[in-house]
Amino acid sequence: MPIFILRRLAVLALALLVVSFLVFLIPYVGEADPVRALARARFGRLDLDAASIEALRIELGMNRPFLVQYLDWLGKAVTGDFGNSYMSREPVIEQIWSALKVSLVLTLAALGFAFAVAVPSGSMAALRQGSVYDTVTKSLSQAFVAVPEYWLAPMSILVFALYLGWLPSAGWRGPASVVLPALALSLRPMGYFMQVMRASMIDVLNSPHIVAAHSRGLSVRRTLIAHGLRNALLPVITLFSVWMAGLLGGAVVIEVIFAVPGMGRLVYSAIVNGDTPVLQAGLIGIVTCAVLINTVTDLAYTVLNPVVRIDNAAA
Amino acid sequence: MLQLDTPMALGKEPRMNSTAARVQKAGAFVVRLAKYNRTLLLSSCVFGTVFMLLLLTSWIAPHDPSAMTLSDRFSGPSAEHWLGLDHLGRDILSRLLYGGQFSVSIAAITLALSALIGTVLGAISARVGGALDEFIMRIVDLMISFPDVLVALFLVAILGPGYGTMILALVITGWTPFARMTRGLALEINAKDYIRAAEILGCSRTYIILHHVIPNILRPLATIAFLRFGHKLITVGSLSFLGLGVQPPDTDWGAMLAEALPYLDRAPSLVLIPGLAIFVTALSITLIGQGLEAHMDDKMKWRHDGK
Repeated sequence: MPIFILRRLAVLALALLVVSFLVFLIPYVGEADPVRALARARFGRLDLDAASIEALRIELGMNRPFLVQYLDWLGKAVTGDFGNSYMSREPVIEQIWSALKVSLVLTLAALGFAFAVAVPSGSMAALRQGSVYDTVTKSLSQAFVAVPEYWLAPMSILVFALYLGWLPSAGWRGPASVVLPALALSLRPMGYFMQVMRASMIDVLNSPHIVAAHSRGLSVRRTLIAHGLRNALLPVITLFSVWMAGLLGGAVVIEVIFAVPGMGRLVYSAIVNGDTPVLQAGLIGIVTCAVLINTVTDLAYTVLNPVVRIDNAAA
Repeated sequence: MLQLDTPMALGKEPRMNSTAARVQKAGAFVVRLAKYNRTLLLSSCVFGTVFMLLLLTSWIAPHDPSAMTLSDRFSGPSAEHWLGLDHLGRDILSRLLYGGQFSVSIAAITLALSALIGTVLGAISARVGGALDEFIMRIVDLMISFPDVLVALFLVAILGPGYGTMILALVITGWTPFARMTRGLALEINAKDYIRAAEILGCSRTYIILHHVIPNILRPLATIAFLRFGHKLITVGSLSFLGLGVQPPDTDWGAMLAEALPYLDRAPSLVLIPGLAIFVTALSITLIGQGLEAHMDDKMKWRHDGK
């Protein structure tokens, strides 16, 4: 177990190192001269003379060797110092934290809802294979997967905010404003969760230990809860983590439509405005979250599934 | 007396009836399909129709997609403009057709490139094994949880917006399921007895790959490609929605939706129509994939990788 955790942590560190280097390169690849780009963002003028550009370059330490600059930047980044935003002039790290919290709430609300609907409905479909209920669930899940969230979102705004006036159409104030964006985000994962839940439940129901429990005289309900659900949930939990990592930074469209101040919108506006420090810190934050979620899922797997535990202990 | 089983008659008969036989065979296939897999038949018809419409767009589109009639902005459906006019007085049907060409072809190109790269890397991973295998699979793990929209944003920051950037971004994030699947299948097939038998018989590696490995991999690959297509189409739309993909005066379904958003309360159909186009296309092609999948393995029915 400890060796397994150490190995995952090594992968995490390595991934972050590679990403940090790529992210550090952004200002150097994009524009011809990063100092000039920065000056433009900071002073809003293009007509700076060469002398003041050079002064700025020395002030920023950008006349030093490339590797020295990277190590310097990395050293600060490790302590959470990504500099100040070009736009708001505030420390980047604070913006990242507040956006991350918003994204976390939105993602958990969306995926939690998807999970809560999909697990019972998928299990029921598996128990009643071939029934009308199964067919309906199947058709719904197939349709859900094909609904673009940037279509569902305006349509739900139209109905619930403009026509009925029940919920706010945009912004991030109070629980009511979470409902529509979370709903719009949850539909596609819900479809996938339902499909995977049904399939894995069928697998489990056909496995020998369930058949044995059933023939010992346990009721279907007891068998399912005591023996089936735990195993059947594993693939859904994996999928949950994949979607969570994806939505934390990837819910850009929904965050833009609903004006939600989350990670996706932060990074998107950083790109549109050429706000390099925010972009760099945002991308690193998202990768960190993705790898951390992956690691936690693997750990959860070892707790839930003895077979994986033995595999990992042996490795 | 004419002998029916003379070589000439034997050789001639199938050739004479070959077209008829083929039609008959195809007909029987459709009948069988209609009986056992109605969803596959129906979804193929829907996607086929969409595909033909997009293919024939230059001939059948009723109007120039960027011709504006500002005096008739937001006017509803009429005999002249079947779906009405948008916020600049452009014909929605024509824009839908021309936009669909971009949406569907970009998704298809992306998918083909992803499949190619993923298959090759997966095959290499399975064949070479060891550290390289470990390395490729760790990258797959990392990429699977990395949002494709963000990769696109990152690349746009460096390369600027456009379809090239969009395709590149989607291929970078899109090859992983193909690599994982090919690797798994290749390992599985290589352990099969008929491969061992072929090796013992002295068949070359190339022969084995061409005659045993590829035919066995092709069908699952086609299935996963169909299943991923809907997802790709939606992602392409979301990138264009954000203004990162197709640039004006060209348009696609995502860009049309984004343009219409400010007029949501005034003309909801402007938002409804392109979204519906994405939904119908994505749904039909996903159902084709699931129909194909159903033929492979009963247990696998309507399940897939899910991202």
